[in-house]
Amino acid sequence: MRRLISFFRLFAAFSLRHAARHGGRTVAVVLGIALGAAVFTSVRLAVHASIASFTRSMDFFAGNADRVVVRPGGLLPEETLALFYTHPAVRDYSVVSTTYVRRQGEGTEPFLLIGIDPLLDRTFRSWRIEGEGTKAIEAWLDLLREPYTILLTAPLARELEVDAGGGLALEHTRRTARFRVVGLLEPSGLALVEGGRVGIVDIATFQELTGLHGGVDRIDLKFRRGVTPSEIEALARELPEDLQLGTPSAARESGTAMIRAYQLNLSVLSFASLFVGMFLVYSLVALNVAARRRELAVLRALGAAPHTLFRLFLAEGALLGGLGWILALPIGSVLVRYLLEAVSRTITTLFVRVRVEELVLSPAELSVSFAVTLGTSLIAAWQPAREAMRVSPREAMDMMTPEERRRKSARSAALLALGCLAACAVLLPLPPAGGVPLGGYLAVLLLFLGFALLSPFLLERLASGLEGRLSRIAGPPAFLAGRAVRQGAVRTAVSVGALITAVALFTALVIMVYSFRRTVETWVRQTVSGDLFVTAKMGQVNRFRFPLPEEIVTELPRLAAGFDLVESRRWPLQRGDFPYEFEAMGMETFFRHGDFLWLEGDPEALRPRIAAGEGVLVSEVFAARTGQRTGDRFQAQIEGSLVDLPILAVVRDYRTDGGIVFYSHRHFRERYHDPRWSGVRFFFREPPADPEGELARLRRAIVAAWGDRLDLIGGRELREAVLRIFDETFAVTTVLLLIALAVAALGIATTLTVLVLERSWQLNTILAVGGSPPQIRAMILWEAAFLVAVGEGAGLACGFLLSGMLIQVINRQSFGWTFLYTVDWASLGLSLPLILAAALAAALPAVRAAFRLPPAALLRQR
Amino acid sequence: MPDPEATAEPIVCARNLTRIYPLGAGTVTGVAGLNLDIARGEFVVLKGPSGSGKSTLLALLAALDTPSAGELTVAGRRLSGRPPGDLTRFRREAVGMVFQSFNLLPTLNVIENICLPALLAGRDEREARRRAEELLERLGLSGRARHPADRLSGGEMQRVAIARAVINHPALVLADEPTGNLDSRNGSAVIELLARLNREDRITVLLATHSDLADGVATRRLTLRDGALVSPPCGD
Ligand SMILES: Nc1ncnc2c1ncn2[C@@H]1O[C@H](COP(=O)(O)OP(=O)(O)OP(=O)(O)O)[C@@H](O)[C@H]1O
Ligand SMILES: [Mg+2]
Repeated sequence: MRRLISFFRLFAAFSLRHAARHGGRTVAVVLGIALGAAVFTSVRLAVHASIASFTRSMDFFAGNADRVVVRPGGLLPEETLALFYTHPAVRDYSVVSTTYVRRQGEGTEPFLLIGIDPLLDRTFRSWRIEGEGTKAIEAWLDLLREPYTILLTAPLARELEVDAGGGLALEHTRRTARFRVVGLLEPSGLALVEGGRVGIVDIATFQELTGLHGGVDRIDLKFRRGVTPSEIEALARELPEDLQLGTPSAARESGTAMIRAYQLNLSVLSFASLFVGMFLVYSLVALNVAARRRELAVLRALGAAPHTLFRLFLAEGALLGGLGWILALPIGSVLVRYLLEAVSRTITTLFVRVRVEELVLSPAELSVSFAVTLGTSLIAAWQPAREAMRVSPREAMDMMTPEERRRKSARSAALLALGCLAACAVLLPLPPAGGVPLGGYLAVLLLFLGFALLSPFLLERLASGLEGRLSRIAGPPAFLAGRAVRQGAVRTAVSVGALITAVALFTALVIMVYSFRRTVETWVRQTVSGDLFVTAKMGQVNRFRFPLPEEIVTELPRLAAGFDLVESRRWPLQRGDFPYEFEAMGMETFFRHGDFLWLEGDPEALRPRIAAGEGVLVSEVFAARTGQRTGDRFQAQIEGSLVDLPILAVVRDYRTDGGIVFYSHRHFRERYHDPRWSGVRFFFREPPADPEGELARLRRAIVAAWGDRLDLIGGRELREAVLRIFDETFAVTTVLLLIALAVAALGIATTLTVLVLERSWQLNTILAVGGSPPQIRAMILWEAAFLVAVGEGAGLACGFLLSGMLIQVINRQSFGWTFLYTVDWASLGLSLPLILAAALAAALPAVRAAFRLPPAALLRQR
Repeated sequence: MPDPEATAEPIVCARNLTRIYPLGAGTVTGVAGLNLDIARGEFVVLKGPSGSGKSTLLALLAALDTPSAGELTVAGRRLSGRPPGDLTRFRREAVGMVFQSFNLLPTLNVIENICLPALLAGRDEREARRRAEELLERLGLSGRARHPADRLSGGEMQRVAIARAVINHPALVLADEPTGNLDSRNGSAVIELLARLNREDRITVLLATHSDLADGVATRRLTLRDGALVSPPCGD
């Protein structure tokens, strides 16, 4: 205890006072960590809140069933239920179906409609009607007895502006129907699904509304107590071939599995800011150790133990981390609001619908962010603290630290750097562990580390290589700056490393996002071609489960004279944990107007074979996830048919991050069963004189005939929407990147200022022997230019390497897709000089610091 | 009258020279109401107890500091109220500084340190090198031109610093305790070097010191106390 107190006394006198005296740099570093910690924490919070909302939703919805019965790609016939009436293993059973509906009118948001059997469902899901005993029972009985009655959650009722007893018109694919609201749900259990945007109807009403007579999505089962696994297996075998017995959590698991890669990439990216912040801590602690060597030697000579010095600097790192974390709280609370919005929107458009209505800052989350922030700061302070420990008491007598050692350490750092880069090359190709490209991420870390370690060597080379030429062109300031950089190379290396990291991330992500976007643009142009897209109303949100009614399918072509129609049917399917879509489409007509983005194989030879129904095309993601490739056989149960076809080729597709399998619509019908149409796209047969007018005419005709049952979207609008979603998705990335760059600029500002302050006697000497203030300012700017040049140059090189790793390895391993490597020279050409300017601007505080001590102070120095 | 400029006009002329430092709420006197004339070619030794204002005076003479009041003319230039550019030019052309702690730049080697003032002043580089080598010769350091400056002994460093002070042919060298960090043998060598420059190159030297090493070579001795001269200031 006494030891602890005396340690803190020493810490207060030795470290705190020093930190307070150099408040500026302390604040800069704390701010840097705070930004990093804020980004890290808010990304975590935003992603977790989205996932929590999704899983909570799925859990309430799954209820407490032991197993569920589904029919992949289709509806379960209600008669299946009869299997379980008297089954010895089954105690309870229930049915459930869901779909999205919306209130009739402009711009209303869809909500989830759950169809259940109020009697059977009671043992499965918990939900209660608001109100006194008899009133609630009345409402419950009404729901059971009367058609077109509905229960709403209170918030949803408020949103729709109805109350218990009121009426409400709801739109669905086939029709719009009036409902009577018989009661409101208490906010618990099922009423919390999708953030409370749910309504409950009787299954019979549900079937009438949706036209799915005799079919349900799913049957939930509860087993008798003491049922054995073999009995369950037997039950699974007794089911008809096209049915599956699964666990109720399967949907949740596949959903979270899809989000996981996105979450991981975002977390890694968010860690980047903290990583850059870590460089800052390292640089400040290392600078302090170096600048206070003499004091350390004196402390040692006065009897301080080596481990005391070690702990002093470790404590300094901890202090910086702790202060940074505290400052991160207010910054994070602003940031998280933006991120939550952006992240949940992205997850909804790319993966599963989520609705986040609340953000819980749990003590657990707080401790994780505290631990990570403190941990990174401690790790950063570790090496300099060890260095402090090695200061010998004898140095108290020495005049200067010899330059020899610095030279050697630049060279040994370069050797270590080569080691890192070699290890990076070894780790990169390792296969992912459980869908996580661990090897890839480690390789990225080593890449950054390698380049950071290389920077002292590069600085020395650059400075000595340019010395002669620069001093001839730019005069004494450049010459003196080159000398200073050469000598201080090892000490500035850390800030340069931070800049390298930030610039590399920036470059790599600019290249990656651009390549991705260009590829998606090409894909959108070719594969999402078409002049008008028509689907069943709410087809997209209901995942195309409700095909277009027959009469519309037969009538549509008659309305669209002068147009080619490409019909399609999509089924959401699942293979193990991996969700994918099967799409049957009118290939022959499609190839006349559009194309796939072929990844392998000869398109000329493949197109006729695809059109002839010889086999399927699979998306890159499907191939990567299932391991199936050209030549393998694709097999799946789709509605009543067992589809078994060879895979003819692999194409790029970015519609979902699940996979897609394409097949000819006509041949599907011929070989298996009528797939019907879930949507159709129209192409002008010949480019007309007035495409806009022609299209408007077609739209009007379709809307006039079945406007309430179809969704229409123009081809151009759709393509623009896809690209807009893309841009929104990557907006988060841009924000995170800019923060990392800002942190790096803080690093440059701190390092340069510290270097300048430390050498103030040198600068004053230069002034005393005839240097002018502008010459001295120019010299500091030149120093900054050296640091920034190496930072940007090496960062650029590192960024190009990184972009290749991201596109070819990490994206492939975590998402399953790759894109055509395209470098966005325009953006890079525009932004790199800006970064250069910003980093040079970061030198301005250092320039100002140059004359903080009056030159006459030279005469007071002993 | 022969050569009126060189002999008649003093190289340093201070009238009522005052430098008061603000310190907290009050002030501290550096020099106060000091009057001083130094003629060209003199070797003046400035003594006085610690805190009497020697360094303050030298800083004012070198234009590293500005007076709070009074008039100061050095090497024919009035120093009060000049823009920074003029002061830089003054430091380049008129004075050379020698410090107690040498203040060689550790990033430069010996000859680069000596040439630095010429380089900063934009003088011809080859010319400067030649003069630097010649100076090194005179200092007995010709073998060490390319050694890093921070690898020399204290005495060698100070000799290099003196060479740096005279590379631009200043009329006046200001030395503040140049022997303070040296043993007496090295100290004597430094004083001897300054005396030679004074004799052979007719460089005026103003040397602030606590030691008696320079007493023998001085043409005049002054004593400061509480920021003012104790002995008669002008002429003898
Ligand atoms: N920047 C400053 N701020 C406040 N007071 C100062 C400053 N510089 C000098 N002084 C004060 O001015 C007085 C004269 O100081 P100066 O350094 O000129 O003395 P000195 O004669 O050179 O002493 P020493 O022989 O110890 O070098 C001292 O009292 C000193 O404390
Ligand atoms: Mg002094």
